[in-house]
Amino acid sequence: MAVTPDANVTFWYGCNMSRHGEIVRLVTHILDAIGVSAAPTGGPGYCCGSPLEANARIAAGMAARTVEKFNEAGRDTVVTWCPSCHMNMDDLMAPVTEAAFETLHITQLLAARRERLRLLLVQPVEARVLLHAHYGFQGRVPVNTDVPMLLGMIPGLTMVDHNLRVPGHMCSAIAPKPGLLAQAHHETMAAMEESGADTLVTIFHSCHREAVALERGRPIRIVNWIHLLAEAIGLPYTDEYKLWRNAEDPRTAIGADRITASGDIAFAQLVEPELRRPPTI
Amino acid sequence: MRDTGKALASYIRDSSARLAEACTACGECYRACPMVSPILAVTDAAPAAVMAGIRDILRDAPGTAEAIAFAGACVRSGECTQACPENLDAAFLMRLALLRVRGTLGDAPRIAVNHDPKWSARVKAFARLTMSEEERAEWL
Repeated sequence: MAVTPDANVTFWYGCNMSRHGEIVRLVTHILDAIGVSAAPTGGPGYCCGSPLEANARIAAGMAARTVEKFNEAGRDTVVTWCPSCHMNMDDLMAPVTEAAFETLHITQLLAARRERLRLLLVQPVEARVLLHAHYGFQGRVPVNTDVPMLLGMIPGLTMVDHNLRVPGHMCSAIAPKPGLLAQAHHETMAAMEESGADTLVTIFHSCHREAVALERGRPIRIVNWIHLLAEAIGLPYTDEYKLWRNAEDPRTAIGADRITASGDIAFAQLVEPELRRPPTI
Repeated sequence: MRDTGKALASYIRDSSARLAEACTACGECYRACPMVSPILAVTDAAPAAVMAGIRDILRDAPGTAEAIAFAGACVRSGECTQACPENLDAAFLMRLALLRVRGTLGDAPRIAVNHDPKWSARVKAFARLTMSEEERAEWL
């Protein structure tokens, strides 16, 4: 499937995407197939500063280190996934540390190369799809129009019309506000019923990790938009985070050997409580 | 060696002063915000008064309780920018106000600050489960 690349980019997937390794892998494969060689980069070593923004000195140091590493990598484009990283680069990082690269969101890159992408979308995906759309970020990057446009190229797939809009730029912004995430999920499930959708598609990772538990006990499917593109291309994947989050026992679903290899104590303290968290509604 | 913390603090102060000067505190951004109705502390406030308080915060003043609550409620919906009759980047203005009330420049925080002290360790713990050793070596 790989073609000779005519662009070399850094794919800055952010930090919390480490829960969704398959999405990083799929994005890299899709970009490769449309002529973009992408080097995935993320984690705390490439922080945008937002997790520690209550302290300018620490946030600035982390952000400057990230910009400098991107400059040293020598690629002229940094392709973002996370809207927080994208806005931080524009608003607070590049104005303070000169960036020798252009910043593009992944949806912008795929939209610009949509005719190449269209040729790859050959497997029908029979689904009536509702977009989990937020108000935020759309004013910066038109994700709420570009994602449906891209998914609309998939044979068999129908994007349903609905005016669902959730406050914030992604669900991690509203999750700390008491009751707001549950309210957003109530409204989202109501929109699914009203529109006759059978599939909810998330745009961002934090929305995905909060929404997947809504599959429990409901005849619906919750996927990320990259998953649907992968299915239409024929790229195999497993959404392990969803599998683990909805398993009766996440430990059994993951397997003892894998947990031990990842670190038993770290798993028990840092991963397991999140995977065992009940759905919001 | 350049002090990036000072550079960021200067940038935040300069941007805050510029936007506070340009903002007329008309309150259109407040009226457009989807967070106003869920945040009970500010639902009865006069929009212009709240935004006057936000301008004060941007100018290093303490700000009113309503303005602090409104800044603290910001989840970056961006509807304020669409609504601003002065064509200001009101979402950035509110982000700066949020940074100020969170104590980013070294002042005492005026709102509760949510911070996951285990964020970095958690990101790495998930990476050890979802990424191969080779991928982690290349991607992190």
